[in-house]
Amino acid sequence: MPEIFINGQSVQAADNQSVLEAARASGYYIPYFCWHPKLSVAGNCRICVVQVEGRSWVEIACNMPVTEGLRVFTDSDLVKAHRKMVMQFLTLNHPVDCGICDKAGECTLQDYHYAYNGAPSISHEPKVRSTKFHDLSARIVLDNERCIVCSRCVRFTHEISKSCALGIKHRGDESLVRASEDGALDRDPYSDNVVDICPVGALLSRQFLHKARVWYLKPTPSVCPGCARGCTVQIWHRKPEWRLKALDPKQNARIDRVTPLENPAVNGPWICNKGRDLAAILERARAEAPMLKGKPVELAAAIDAARRLLGAAKRPVALVSSWGSNEELAAFKSALSARVDAFVKEDSTPAPGERLDDDLLIRADKNPNTTAARALFAQLPNPAVFPADTDLVLVWGEGFDFARIPAGARIIFLNAWLQPENGHADVFFPVSIQTERPGHYTNFQGVVSAFEPCFPKPPGVADAESLFAALGAQGQP
Amino acid sequence: MPGTQLLMTFPVTATSHSLADYRARGGYATLMKVLEKMAPQDVTKEVAASGILGHGGAAFAAGRKWAVIKLDDGQPHYLCANADEGEPGTFKDRWILEHNPHMLIEGMLISAYALQVRNAFVYIRGEFDLPYRRLAAAVEEAYAAGLLGEGILGVDFSCDLVVYRGAGSYVCGEASGLLSSLEGKRGYPRNRPPRLTVKGLYQMPTVVNNVETLTNVTAILALGAEAFKKVGTPKSPGTQLCSISGHIARPGVYEIEHGYPLKKFLFEDCGGMPAGAKLKCIIPGGISTKVLTAPEIEPVTYDHASFAKAGSSLGSGGMIVIAEGTCMVRLLQVMLRFYHHESCGQCTPCREGMGWMHRIIDRIVASRGRPEDIEQLYQISRWNDGNTICGMGDAAGYAAIGILDKYRDEFEHWITHGRSRFDGNLEVVGNA
Amino acid sequence: MKHLIPEFEKLKARFPKGFESSLVLPCARRIQEDRGYIADSDIDGLTEYLGVPRMQIEQVLSYYTQFRRKPIGRWHVQTCRNVTCSMRGAERLIDHLARKLGVAPGQTTPDGRFTLSTVECLGSCGTAPVVMINDAYHENMSAEKVDALLNELK
Repeated sequence: MPEIFINGQSVQAADNQSVLEAARASGYYIPYFCWHPKLSVAGNCRICVVQVEGRSWVEIACNMPVTEGLRVFTDSDLVKAHRKMVMQFLTLNHPVDCGICDKAGECTLQDYHYAYNGAPSISHEPKVRSTKFHDLSARIVLDNERCIVCSRCVRFTHEISKSCALGIKHRGDESLVRASEDGALDRDPYSDNVVDICPVGALLSRQFLHKARVWYLKPTPSVCPGCARGCTVQIWHRKPEWRLKALDPKQNARIDRVTPLENPAVNGPWICNKGRDLAAILERARAEAPMLKGKPVELAAAIDAARRLLGAAKRPVALVSSWGSNEELAAFKSALSARVDAFVKEDSTPAPGERLDDDLLIRADKNPNTTAARALFAQLPNPAVFPADTDLVLVWGEGFDFARIPAGARIIFLNAWLQPENGHADVFFPVSIQTERPGHYTNFQGVVSAFEPCFPKPPGVADAESLFAALGAQGQP
Repeated sequence: MPGTQLLMTFPVTATSHSLADYRARGGYATLMKVLEKMAPQDVTKEVAASGILGHGGAAFAAGRKWAVIKLDDGQPHYLCANADEGEPGTFKDRWILEHNPHMLIEGMLISAYALQVRNAFVYIRGEFDLPYRRLAAAVEEAYAAGLLGEGILGVDFSCDLVVYRGAGSYVCGEASGLLSSLEGKRGYPRNRPPRLTVKGLYQMPTVVNNVETLTNVTAILALGAEAFKKVGTPKSPGTQLCSISGHIARPGVYEIEHGYPLKKFLFEDCGGMPAGAKLKCIIPGGISTKVLTAPEIEPVTYDHASFAKAGSSLGSGGMIVIAEGTCMVRLLQVMLRFYHHESCGQCTPCREGMGWMHRIIDRIVASRGRPEDIEQLYQISRWNDGNTICGMGDAAGYAAIGILDKYRDEFEHWITHGRSRFDGNLEVVGNA
Repeated sequence: MKHLIPEFEKLKARFPKGFESSLVLPCARRIQEDRGYIADSDIDGLTEYLGVPRMQIEQVLSYYTQFRRKPIGRWHVQTCRNVTCSMRGAERLIDHLARKLGVAPGQTTPDGRFTLSTVECLGSCGTAPVVMINDAYHENMSAEKVDALLNELK
């Protein structure tokens, strides 16, 4: 455990740390482009330099091992001059088209320009042109003019996702990041992480391209429901103060993008592409009205009808949603489990060809809260087998084939989505989703993560938690 | 002959590269002696005692490099001869590969024994065809004669040698770029730490030495360190193969004993300037060394200290002689075009800086130069010095600064008048 | 490239265990020698044979000047344009070749006979100017000598 000195202050470093890591861990900021805590050291951007006391030159800190007594300066005149130099080189051929670049507002090049240079280019040469809008994959667009060839994206695909899909072709200032010609990047379910780690506006997500300026957006912490890993994510949507009256309310309440929420206990800094595509799951058409056999009614009438059915049932069975939050599951348990036989159902199953358990994040169980549900209830056998005299089935959540419900049994159905089965239920309740209420999921390893609401519930939609309480309350309906 | 000869000790004939001819000159007797009588550590001590400096251009003491290898670390060690020879002006290792390949092989075997290397490599640039075929044939001869493979010369020492061909990249002459290439990848140089002698080929301890350095190991062990040190100067023991070209009467490869007067070498051994030409300057050791003008070479002797004192470097032994009337602006243009073409592109200062310098000088030559261009070329050179992953950024800077320092007036002339102060033609001396 | 695999197996045996990755360059060179260039199917085959990422091979082929993924003329006329060669007439020689062949450096004659390229230092400065045609160095060249040389090449 060496002691080093940064700008004269003692810092306790760990064995095998680099000076950059030790500095970061103790709150000293050393700028970097190509370094990343989860990737191998490339040492090519050259901006992370420090000056060792007594030396008249600077050296990169990302590849400098800590040694006992090492004394370095992170802000000497030489270091500052060197950073300006690196910025001059990086902006030499960079198009500086921030006005039309999605990365503006969260761009390391912009930030460092203001922090360390702020000076226009001294070059008199026309900028080197290169490919803009190169389709690296169906999901990722590459602008080679903005690329600073830091190789983070390449290292990610070789060291983390292991698709080895990216590389740098040619050499010198003609170097081009490219995807392998066998389409491996299209098949890499973690591909979009390179968009996050690109420090400039070179790698951009097609689904977010030109959609919104990031400073109008707010990230709300959430948990991806795509599988049992439960990666924590950020759901980006318009800041409340930037809601535009001129816009359709739907645009003000839209998932603009999803990015990882760094989480050492679960997903680190990564998520898979399914998490990026959460809008495809969470912005499906919603069920908006309680119904009795397909006929819209007031909520009170629906609750009334449901309580009557529950009171009359001799052998009620409930199928509990594996997308239910910890709070909703607890509410179900406390309100209803004494009166119904409850089983956990698999709301989502893997799509054909969808990756199952892998070595990184993805789990075969495509439901976010199986663990919490199974802690409270038994698993529904597959194929589903109901007790012989089942006369009422309460189905909570989507994905269950109604054809398997015993003929003659009454159905109470709680579902968020506009689906044909909604009309087949004797009583139907539209329910809220995770972006509309706070809650927690428990992942397959038992880690509990929180999600927060970012949008208002559609009118007419109820929270399942309060519904259970209402359905289970004692006394005559 | 410029002093004592250690390598170029025989007339080149149609068969002088063969095993039979090499044996007739006493070849492989030293290897036999080493295997029979010396422990590996003793060989390393002898090489260290000789004081030999690497012949690839960096002049790093070979003994110091070897000393990092721990014989008992339980890891495979690798030895690699650097035959990439891409430094413009340099073609002296080629002489060894074409005419004395067995002396290299013997030197490598002695080194492999010292460093406990089971697998050795020669990395040879892809463009060298005849040198490759001669070396490959020599390797086959050696295998057939039991000089390579298992149980060499009946002793408990085995070593395999693979000749690995490059495919066209100057930075593969840089030791870590070479190893990246040898691993089947792009020739990307690596940051240090770790040193290659700690983590080199496939992250194993590796010694990379220039072809001439390893060939000299044979001479060192044949003569003994003491006798070797008597050749040359105390700080630069032994000799240097020098490839000389350009505006000179007798271009070619010469073996120069360190300490030999440079002027004598140029004007006697090499025949001086071609008829009617006057010496303007020389590039001493590959284009990455600073030019020395005619007056500056007066006191210089062919050794590291003397070149350093004159403000340049002995470098890779590739000397280019330049006659009066040669436009130094055009000469630098050719050099900057070369560095731009060869930059691997990894690190910011070189990737952007080489192209920048090339574009500036192209603009000057196209008569669109600006007064601030000279200072910008200096600035970019200084910005690269010491700030890159490998020495190429530095090298380009030295080449530019060397020429700008001594011939600034030629650049100012072109910028002011839109043309060279000469005729801009580099072919000042007519060719046959 | 599958017919070359027996040869590659012999080559692999000369390397230590675990050096499969190193085979990329020599195998690519041999494939190019055989076909004249390296085809997409060769990359597929080599990827499978060596078990390296396909991108490694793609990168290598794009990085080194001697590898090509498209066919060129029967005779690759490579003229050094570096320092000493330029000082001994290479620039004039390149102009001469371009005019004689009717192509710019980088192009191939319409009859598919010659591809003209300019290359960097070939390590033959003592016999400048040097022209490398396919694998062979032709030293001490001049316009007349290169004309005579090209006439012999069908």
